Amino acid sequence: MLGSIALESLKRRRSTALLTLISITISISLLISVDIIRTQVKSSFTRTVSGVDLIVGAPSGQLNLLLSSVFNIGTPTKGIEWESVATLKNNRQVDWIIPLSLGDTHRGFRVVGTTNAFFTHFKYGDKQTLAFKNGAMFNTPLATVVGADIAADLGYKVGDSIIISHGLGNVSFNNHDEHRFVISGILQKTGTPVDKAVYVTLEGLEKAHSPHQGHGRASTGITRPSAIQNPVSEHEHEHEHEHEHEHEHENATESLEDYNVNAFIPEQVSVVMVGLKNRVTALQLQYRINQNKTTPLMAILPGMALAELWQIMGNIEALLLGLSALIVACALIGLSTMLLASMRERYQEIAVLRSIGAGPGTLLLLIQLEAMFLAVISTALSVGLVVAIMALIKPWLSSEYGIFLSGPLLGKSSLIIIALMLFATYLVSLFPAIAAYRRGLHSGLSGR
Amino acid sequence: MKSVMNLVGADVSNSKTDEKAPALAVNIDALTFSYTKGSPPILSIPQWKVPSNQHVFLSGPSGSGKSTLLNLLSGTLSPTSGNITLLDKPFSSLSPRQRDKFRAQHIGVVFQQFNLIQYLSVEQNIKAAVYFAKKGASSTEVYERMLTLIDALRLPTSVLKQKADALSIGQQQRVAIARALINNPELLIVDEPTSALDTAARDSFMTLLKSVAKDSTMIFVSHDMGMASHFDTTFSISDLSDTNNSQPTGALLC
Repeated sequence: MLGSIALESLKRRRSTALLTLISITISISLLISVDIIRTQVKSSFTRTVSGVDLIVGAPSGQLNLLLSSVFNIGTPTKGIEWESVATLKNNRQVDWIIPLSLGDTHRGFRVVGTTNAFFTHFKYGDKQTLAFKNGAMFNTPLATVVGADIAADLGYKVGDSIIISHGLGNVSFNNHDEHRFVISGILQKTGTPVDKAVYVTLEGLEKAHSPHQGHGRASTGITRPSAIQNPVSEHEHEHEHEHEHEHEHENATESLEDYNVNAFIPEQVSVVMVGLKNRVTALQLQYRINQNKTTPLMAILPGMALAELWQIMGNIEALLLGLSALIVACALIGLSTMLLASMRERYQEIAVLRSIGAGPGTLLLLIQLEAMFLAVISTALSVGLVVAIMALIKPWLSSEYGIFLSGPLLGKSSLIIIALMLFATYLVSLFPAIAAYRRGLHSGLSGR
Repeated sequence: MKSVMNLVGADVSNSKTDEKAPALAVNIDALTFSYTKGSPPILSIPQWKVPSNQHVFLSGPSGSGKSTLLNLLSGTLSPTSGNITLLDKPFSSLSPRQRDKFRAQHIGVVFQQFNLIQYLSVEQNIKAAVYFAKKGASSTEVYERMLTLIDALRLPTSVLKQKADALSIGQQQRVAIARALINNPELLIVDEPTSALDTAARDSFMTLLKSVAKDSTMIFVSHDMGMASHFDTTFSISDLSDTNNSQPTGALLC
């Protein structure tokens, strides 16, 4: 009965109730969105890098190094000599290294030059290794492995050939179209930037950037693998000049079972991910690398770099959450104002309800029910709205910002926010409810 | 076919036959009331007793305190001093909450402005009175009683679904009576609900009201002395205020 009275009462004031509903919905949506983005960014970033103990690159900022190497965000740092990488690889504390050459794109997606070590050692999430949905690792110099999202978005399958473009950005006038890469494998979805990256061999990248192909590279910090020591690769290189217009066929037939992608030695790479035999030595090795005056390198601990990122973002997060909370507070004050304003026209109604037996508790409950109706409907609308918006902007967030939304969007913090918001509604609705009951019964009935 | 009146007689008077009715429905002792503390009382009634099951007419000119007395009897106002005992309960000594509860369960009030909740349907208005009274009647019983009252008050069943603000004055008046009677109140307080009616309509309404409330004590307030003939006893508010005269003047009229 109380529920239907509350509902009919709201219907009676549908214009003001609707406006209040809209303002609360927008404010809760904003608050939940900020919280979702905040938690998803953290989760996305934390999930992306796992099991990598050090990242080594040319001296720059540790955030820049982390973002460009792991998250494919920003401009890659300038290259480091392979000699330094080799020294690092031979360090007895080092278990494995993954060299990465960055700077090219394929239809707006980042191209990463690497070795098969990437597919065996790189881990994401809870130490999960990369798995292939179709195909396998690099098996030719011009083999490529594409992320799950690229395969899905562009409809690629194993055996298809692609070309890569010079530089970053969605549009490039400098395509390396003489060298078509053949997809040897498609990775399973990871919910990380790996899904939106094209992986090619260091050797293939070198081929694509060969100056005699007419695509001389400006000094952009893009690393250029130069010394090809794999005899099989050299053979391919010669062969390539004879059949420039038959690359797809050529690449498909040049697959060799004993192709050793790790044998190729580039001149430079952009960055190296390092796995240590014992993680405890990470700080020590980082210190030694950073203090080395002869070879200027910079080593970062991904966890510490992320901590620095969160520290910077923490203030912005707090500011955004604070602003959103203020907006919610304004909306709730609006709700209270609406209820208080409606009390003037409702004194008679309240008095009538009292005259037929509604007690103080019942009247409090009635006013609060109205407020809670609005709050619950607003919350449901907000959750629906936010989920829909997130679904819509998901591709944009991942391509533009490397933020991968995954798992249940509404986390613990969002649920706490919703619970707090409903509690705040309960509190602000107390004022009009108490005001309603304090008004004398007789004055309400007589209209005094 | 049964007449409406017979139907009303059968169904409306069903609940209090086994209960022992109190001898006095209303017992006022040394009652005074003023709106502001310290000011002279606008109403002073040394003593007034109304036996149970009486239909009492209370008259008086406008501004004489009739409605104030009814508000005191219904508990929407509290006396400045003195006691009001209703149905053997010290009504004026009860807490506001207890008074609300007692009113809901034992007193039916028909207000001068009817005081229906405008945005609720007729059915919701009537059922709200049942809901708040918490007398434990089943929904079937309530619905049947509601239909009986609506029928007895010569309202179409379709009116139940109509919003109160869509009703005519006459319909609102009848719905207010149905709401007041739905809980079988022992005491029915009616505050000048016929002021907007012509003589014929007024007499018809009174016949109807008396028939549906025949098992309740009814105190009916009006300045229209022409209605006195419908009641067992008639009092004038000025007589009640007189300490030497607490006898009903209606004895002379009846």
